Amino acid sequence: MSANKTYDAIVIGAGGGGGIAAAVLAEGGMRVLVLERGREKTFAEIPRDHLRNHRLSLYGQNFGPDDNAGNPRVAVDGQGRERTVLPYEGGYQNNAMGVGGGTRVYGGQAWRFLPTDFKMASTYGVPEGSSLADWPITYDDLAPYYERAEWEIGVSADSELMAQHWPRQKGYPMPAVPLNSQGRLFRSSARQLGWDVFPVPLLVNSVPYLARPACIQCQHCVGFACPVEGKNGSQNTMLPRALATGRCHLETEAMVTHIDTDGSGKVTGVTYFDGNGEQHMIKTGVVVCAAGAIETARLLLHSASAQQPNGLGNQGDQLGRHLQGHYYPGVMGLMPEPVWDGIGPGVNTATVRWSHGNEDEHGPVIGGGLLADEFVLLPMTFWLRHLPPDVPRWGAANKQFMRENYRRFVEIKGPTQDIPSPDARVTLASSVKDTWGMPVAQLSGTTHPETVRTAKFMWERAGEWIKASGAVKTWGGPPGLGLSGGQHQAGTCRMGHDPNTSVVDSHGRVHGHENLFVADGSVHVTNGGFNPVLTLMALAFRTAEGVLKQR
Amino acid sequence: MQPEHTSLTDEHWRTLQALADRIIPQDPDWPSGWQAGVGDYLAHQFERDLRPQVEPYRRGLEALDGEARARTGKPFAELGNAAQDGILVAVERGDVFTNWPDAPAFFAMAIQHVNEGFYSDPNNGGNKAGVAWHMIGYTVKG
Repeated sequence: MSANKTYDAIVIGAGGGGGIAAAVLAEGGMRVLVLERGREKTFAEIPRDHLRNHRLSLYGQNFGPDDNAGNPRVAVDGQGRERTVLPYEGGYQNNAMGVGGGTRVYGGQAWRFLPTDFKMASTYGVPEGSSLADWPITYDDLAPYYERAEWEIGVSADSELMAQHWPRQKGYPMPAVPLNSQGRLFRSSARQLGWDVFPVPLLVNSVPYLARPACIQCQHCVGFACPVEGKNGSQNTMLPRALATGRCHLETEAMVTHIDTDGSGKVTGVTYFDGNGEQHMIKTGVVVCAAGAIETARLLLHSASAQQPNGLGNQGDQLGRHLQGHYYPGVMGLMPEPVWDGIGPGVNTATVRWSHGNEDEHGPVIGGGLLADEFVLLPMTFWLRHLPPDVPRWGAANKQFMRENYRRFVEIKGPTQDIPSPDARVTLASSVKDTWGMPVAQLSGTTHPETVRTAKFMWERAGEWIKASGAVKTWGGPPGLGLSGGQHQAGTCRMGHDPNTSVVDSHGRVHGHENLFVADGSVHVTNGGFNPVLTLMALAFRTAEGVLKQR
Repeated sequence: MQPEHTSLTDEHWRTLQALADRIIPQDPDWPSGWQAGVGDYLAHQFERDLRPQVEPYRRGLEALDGEARARTGKPFAELGNAAQDGILVAVERGDVFTNWPDAPAFFAMAIQHVNEGFYSDPNNGGNKAGVAWHMIGYTVKG
């Protein structure tokens, strides 16, 4: 074990939140070390493998973890049975691990949460057994930071149409990505239904921006890396800014296993293994944890001390709980004629008409979500996950169906807001360890069952839209009860004023630890009915700005 | 095509080819699964991700051949398309005469792996020159 030089701040994780924290702190004059467990990869090192990507990971994935066997997790089912799972298996809830994190391979939907998303408990009440709560901050508190994320990372959207739903000071830096043929179809049918729709905001360049080119509309966006750097993530926006200051060092293949604290709870440094397996202890003034909702919770749990025997910030037994992502109700269908033009990214037309204020036959429904069309679908994924149940799985009939219908296939779906449960949680596995000898994350519980009801409501709306579009056949059922997380993982270090009901304060500071912060989806109290990355980014700007002000 | 170290014999491979070509048969316009490179995909995968499945394949292919011999007196690969399909329909239902570990599970596994070879990217060994993508109209630009 070696003792190295000291830094003003250490950022753990070079993903969406970590890149922003690093840039804000380094540009603010701090000397910053970013520790990323994954590698920096070129485009060629993130292959367009249709069996191993972050949309379909049958045998592996193209952007981390690279060592599947060395990075297991434990999934616990409803009967309490524990199962060791690898990163490409469903129960693992993988996001990505590498420089850029999920932002290197995401679809880049750039949603702000709606004002009501920050006030779920006071809007709807709290169903029994749920940990639904209001955020300690409002949409207005976060709005300036949403704007920073939109301009400094780069979002393309229709400023005028978006302003009809979200109060905003300023437009978007780029016009919306043009609609493809399915986007135009769903815009037209939504208008016939009287539903208000608009182009999906994307962290993708519709025109050249910040010295990088426009999107070339390829067919491998979500789940893959961009061939022209027209998709905007941490790795090509904020991290380069951090490194350009000369005050930030990025170390890859660096696995942090412990955040070191003194008797008062103050963070003194971190312990990590470098790429050669050598262990280091580094001193620092501030730690910003941005490893994702599952790994951040795991690290804080594993950093227990004599004073904090249950993990850092865990005096209220909240750390690791309320794990949430999204349910994805959707309906698939066939159009009478081909509608596929292959113009990517593919997700085009969305509505937030059903995000709030919904009612089913039993009364008011809690929350809702957005609905939109879908990214360009890989043929393999179409065959595996999207065929109607009455199509034979083999033989001439299956081949003929594929041949005649790939270009007629359409889908409407969207993220439904999870109704959180304290039982959906990350703990440390009792016996399974990773390649560094650290107990792995164990995932158990499910979201609150109210989520199933909301998802069913949204599934019905998806069906209405796709039928109004002229689909001649539709299929796909509503989601059942389960644990969500995955690429939208959030909630495990929820934000709040009270240390007994939350893990971090309203500025992302871990309760009881004046110089420890969290800047990833962990801090989301609820996860909105939207892809959460822009909210995570806005919070990272706000939290990092708070760190600077504290100096 | 046959990896040396696997326990699959030439006879197993003949049965597998015949099976793959009923899962994705040739038609007047487009190749069969095997013609499109599914065999190369499987050979590659039997050395990689599907290494643990080689033994289940060996047992399943022998059971399929045994089923064909019990029903017709001929190995599966020597039967005509209709006879092969008739046996596979029975296998899919688990309506089998001979001793199988789990006939429907074996067939479902083979169906998935054959289609992986056919529809995934050509770098995986099958879907030669993107022929399956041409067939369905998936085109890659950029």
